Amino acid sequence: MRGARLSEAVWGYGFAFVPFAVFGLFFIYPFIYAVYISFFHWGILGKQPGASGTYNYSKVLHDPVFHIALKNIAEYALAVVPLEMALGLSLALIINGKIRGRNFFRSGFYFPSIASSVAITVIILYLFAPHGPFNTFFGFSTDWFGSASTVGWSIVGLNAWTTSGTVMIFYLAALQSIPEDVYEASALDGAGSWRTFWKITFPLLRPAHFFCLVVFGIGALKLFDQSYIVSNGTGGPNYATTTPILYIYRQAFANYDFGVAAAAGVVFLGIILVLTVAQWFTIGRQEAG
Amino acid sequence: MLQTVAAADAPIPGKTPSQIARRALFYGLVTILALVFFVPFVYTISTSFKTIPDSVNVTLIPHPWTTSAWSTVWHNYDFATYFKNSFFLCAVIVSCNIFLGALGGYAFARLHFPGRDLLFLIVLATIMVPDQLRLIPIYVMLVNWHLIGNFSGYILINLVTATNLFFMRQYFLTIPKDFEEAAKLDGAGQFKTFWRVMLPLALPAIGALTILQFQGTWNDFFWPVVLFQGQQHLYTIQLGLANLRFAYSSLWPEIAAGSIIAILPILVIFLALQRFFVSGAVTAGVKG
Repeated sequence: MRGARLSEAVWGYGFAFVPFAVFGLFFIYPFIYAVYISFFHWGILGKQPGASGTYNYSKVLHDPVFHIALKNIAEYALAVVPLEMALGLSLALIINGKIRGRNFFRSGFYFPSIASSVAITVIILYLFAPHGPFNTFFGFSTDWFGSASTVGWSIVGLNAWTTSGTVMIFYLAALQSIPEDVYEASALDGAGSWRTFWKITFPLLRPAHFFCLVVFGIGALKLFDQSYIVSNGTGGPNYATTTPILYIYRQAFANYDFGVAAAAGVVFLGIILVLTVAQWFTIGRQEAG
Repeated sequence: MLQTVAAADAPIPGKTPSQIARRALFYGLVTILALVFFVPFVYTISTSFKTIPDSVNVTLIPHPWTTSAWSTVWHNYDFATYFKNSFFLCAVIVSCNIFLGALGGYAFARLHFPGRDLLFLIVLATIMVPDQLRLIPIYVMLVNWHLIGNFSGYILINLVTATNLFFMRQYFLTIPKDFEEAAKLDGAGQFKTFWRVMLPLALPAIGALTILQFQGTWNDFFWPVVLFQGQQHLYTIQLGLANLRFAYSSLWPEIAAGSIIAILPILVIFLALQRFFVSGAVTAGVKG
């Protein structure tokens, strides 16, 4: 028997070896390497002589553009997450009700979530161009994605629209796991459908609310594609579309300062980890209470 | 009867005026939502068949009707190459993820070896960390190894994801052990049991993984921008489309046709195999 167990262990390592070589080399080692890079002057030609110590970190932490990037992403997440959750839950309720052509609507609502973000963004940029179809049809002249005052909200609207389909799928699964007799009891008590929703359905969906908050909250912090395409990679106008990931990208590929870019990455990873842990603790407590 | 009363917004054939009003409101809302979701796509299809002067008119029917934008994008703006590049990367990366994800997933689901739980924690931690924050170290590593300027760097960093390994493990856990025990009684070794017995049994999971990974790679924009920007022969369809829009932002029919080309394969797969998308999204998410 000992031989069999040993052979199983050997096979176990053998099977797990290649996947783990990949994780080690391309997922775990890079984070250690990023910390290393962040302590050096690192340019387009690689490491420059002499350690820079914490110079890169103080540069990032005192950079007004990095502050703007953090403020932008905080505002974006605070706006987009409630919006996509409200929209996603509404879509799920519609699909869950007895509506004709249910599968058709479900597919239609879900499709923007799985279609390429580049194509969707490019389509919306043209539909909402200053002289584009939307403005012509409704008589506006706003440059929705071109002016600093509107571009943030325009990206919020765009992503709330595309992501709501995924939120809908999660809420649908949660709605379908609510037992039918809960509703029957509520109906016996003479509760109307509006009241039933707020008193019964909404509280019962609490695990789904928290799940979506965590998943889509963290997801929102990684905004890049839309900002890049809207601004042609510049993060403009006037830094209005600069997100932390785009800031890191630009430090590396526009300023060729890999040391600062790596330091910004480490700082931002720290922020994400703190937020993730904080969310898990809050949720742990909520679920228990 | 009770059920029909209970289902929140169920439109029961109208009885009282208030019920009829509510039903009308409900369908009004659904219609508006449907327009918001469908009009952009329908309008884009229409624009792709328009001429450039006609594309500024807010009309749904092209006048005159032309396919010139499609052929311009495909031939003159090299979308044929980008499409081929995207397909090649998808095929390689999906195959590697199936094989390595299943191999690792099987080890974690079925084989006992010292340190398994610790390694599994590492897998879970890898899922939590944002992929994009690998940007700087990965780029520097690939430059040092002279893997910039071709596809190999992109393939290497996408060989297998922790999510796919986790997904396969979860599926292997649901397969009864009887199958493997029968195979072992027949004298099959570990690899043969995995390859001939377990892998075929995991076909539904492999199907879901194929679709989700194909979608992920096909739609990926971040890594192609980082690794391929400026090297036109390496452009994927998404990078090509983004650059087309930067260069010619007023060629609306061409932009519309390019966008549809970038979406089309996903649309076809989605229509044919919808349930995989939904079940994949739910299992990948909820089980985590």
